[in-house]
Amino acid sequence: MTEAAALEYRLFEFIDILRDANIAISADEVLALFSALPHIRILEKNIFRQTLKTCLIKDYTDIPVFEKCFNDFFGSSGDAQAEVVGAFRDMNAREIMLVESGALPHGPAALEKALADFLGSLPGEFILGKSPEELTAAFLGMMSGSGSSGGVGMTPDGRLKKSAQPQQEGPVGDEGVRDTYGRILYAVEAMMRDRLSRKTTGVRIRDREEYLLHKPIYKITQDEIKEMHDLIRRFGQKLKNKISLRKKRVKHGGPDIKRTLRASVRYGGMPFRIFFRDRRIERPRLVVLCDISGSVSQYSRFMLLLTHTLQGLFSKVRSFAFISNMVEITPLFTEMDPERALSSIFSDTNFTYGWGSNYGRCFEQFIHDYSDSLTGKTTVLILGDGRNNYQDPGLRAFITIKERSRNILWLNPDKRHLWNWADSIAYLYGEYCDTMKEVNNFLDLSEFIDKLFIDI
Amino acid sequence: MIFNKIHNNKFLANTVSRSDTIRMFDSIQSAIDGLAEQKYIASEEIATAVFLSLKMEKPILVEGPAGVGKTDLGRSIAAALSMDLIRLQCYEGLDESKALYEWEYAKQLLYTQILKDRLSTVMKHEKTLAQAIDRLSREDDVFFSNKFLLPRPVLRAITSERRSLLLIDEIDKSDSEFEAFLLEVLSDFQVSIPEIGTVRARLKPCVFLTSNSSREMSDALKRRCLHLYINYPNRELEERIVSLKVPECGEKLRADIVEAVHKIRELQLKKEPSISETLDWARALVILGIRDLTHDVAVETLNLILKYEKDIEQAKQNSRSIFLH
Repeated sequence: MTEAAALEYRLFEFIDILRDANIAISADEVLALFSALPHIRILEKNIFRQTLKTCLIKDYTDIPVFEKCFNDFFGSSGDAQAEVVGAFRDMNAREIMLVESGALPHGPAALEKALADFLGSLPGEFILGKSPEELTAAFLGMMSGSGSSGGVGMTPDGRLKKSAQPQQEGPVGDEGVRDTYGRILYAVEAMMRDRLSRKTTGVRIRDREEYLLHKPIYKITQDEIKEMHDLIRRFGQKLKNKISLRKKRVKHGGPDIKRTLRASVRYGGMPFRIFFRDRRIERPRLVVLCDISGSVSQYSRFMLLLTHTLQGLFSKVRSFAFISNMVEITPLFTEMDPERALSSIFSDTNFTYGWGSNYGRCFEQFIHDYSDSLTGKTTVLILGDGRNNYQDPGLRAFITIKERSRNILWLNPDKRHLWNWADSIAYLYGEYCDTMKEVNNFLDLSEFIDKLFIDI
Repeated sequence: MIFNKIHNNKFLANTVSRSDTIRMFDSIQSAIDGLAEQKYIASEEIATAVFLSLKMEKPILVEGPAGVGKTDLGRSIAAALSMDLIRLQCYEGLDESKALYEWEYAKQLLYTQILKDRLSTVMKHEKTLAQAIDRLSREDDVFFSNKFLLPRPVLRAITSERRSLLLIDEIDKSDSEFEAFLLEVLSDFQVSIPEIGTVRARLKPCVFLTSNSSREMSDALKRRCLHLYINYPNRELEERIVSLKVPECGEKLRADIVEAVHKIRELQLKKEPSISETLDWARALVILGIRDLTHDVAVETLNLILKYEKDIEQAKQNSRSIFLH
């Protein structure tokens, strides 16, 4: 295999990894990359990286993912390959003959290719289930098998069986040869391990993201919160872009007669140019009421973070937090960035009046103090488990909220079967909500926001 | 098609200089140097993307926070390669008549009025109305010819005699319909005018798009462009930028300013100070005759780099750790 072909091969592998990590790369981008490469010196790593980035990555929110993949893929690979090259160089001619006649493909590049082909031919689950040592053995077994007889069973099991005694398949000669062979074996194993970790980089990133997005929010650990915040920012940005693109598409309304006539005066009353009225984009107004008591605080945290990342999409967002006291927290978010705002909310104490959540009292308070935030265009989003500690549900106030707003949606972090259990009166409220939905993970939250924009 | 004649007579005078060779960056280093001559300090990453875009004759989409010098980069490339800069500022409601071309209705109307007599002599042999219309439609191209075509920036860039740089600024401010108009230009460097035909670029213009990412560009547009994300520069680069743009600023003051700005960027603010704010600050301090960025001076002049009251307050709260002197 020539240098160019080897490089090409590696690049395709890298592109696959990026695709694994959910980055969209089309044929156009790949073509652009290959037409760019002749113009640069590939050995200058920084320039090489920038070239890949500029040609392949079109969404800046993907840049951190790209950097990670790049470092994983091109960062460490040098060592294993160098080892193999070294091992080949140290062998004398006779030994090379032996190796060649025995099994291994000649030259490190060809070896890489063979390794990649080998892994490519195996089913994904099979690779994940085996250790690098086992895979190396299987690989060597297959190589020696195809070298001499060619009649190896094509199933992965067959390969493994054959490779159980790779030493017998390999050349049996004097100590020196065996030693060199051992080194090659070692190097091949290193290459295999390296390749396996690289191959899974993209998948790992995607899996990690999906894991976090799907992980039940109450299970998210302190360490993951930071990671989660970054993810929400990235994810929120993507959601925002998606929604704003969708909004732009419904812009044109009917003809604007007044403007068309006015313009036609210039041309002697001939309506040369017809103007159209822009259909007013109705952005929803949003009122978010979040229960921040211990049981659901983590959900509220992410909900608030998400709504404020998406603030630009709404004409107005007002947020309120409560436990047994309703407090408007909108100003906090306008004053500082969401994360700091969040931490100051959760370290504050004026949300409590007495003990535990009191939904009824809070709804009454809301109607009394903040009913100016409700208009016919307002969507009220409530996040809470409806555990009212056996106190007055304040239904009258809740119904007033419903009457004065466009719709009222409730996200409940409790599992559905717990909705009327013990002190929860979720169903009581649910009757007056347009929707009450169970939320478990971040995706549920964001899906909900996304839906707000579909039927407007 | 003789477009150049109609749109700008100035260019006719310029065609003399057509023979001089087109300047190009021949390596990434030469791009860095060429931009430096225009007082633009480009990192290796920026230079690589620019160099590739020029070499591959592919448009480039530049994104990044406001004030990191995206527009300036386009301007500097044009200056470094002595290309004409044709700038198209995007805004909501920008349509093809403002960006591509427009028919001059008033002129067409005026000419029809003036040519009324002439028209009746042409038509006088026609017996029926239908024949008259046939006859008239044979003269169609008189009315829809280059004479009545008003080229807007995009068409101007394509028909330019000299190599030009089309700077489409803040494309995210335009509507997505407008993006669709651009696609033909970006991929094939041509504009289709239904009445005339397709106008192809003789010299492919460099197309440079900037965006503050207030909305996502469509995939179709992104596919046709290379992509460059410019972030805030690192300390060393920013110091070089300050020293280039505000040479009066002493070395120590410069280092202090840049260090302070970098620390302020780490605070979580509504609007982080960008390079242009750093430069404003440096200039202001020089004008005020300040040599040392002491704590008090810094706090008093914070309003030069921070644009929100809350941000200033927050910086003041942390001022002890930001301003060391």
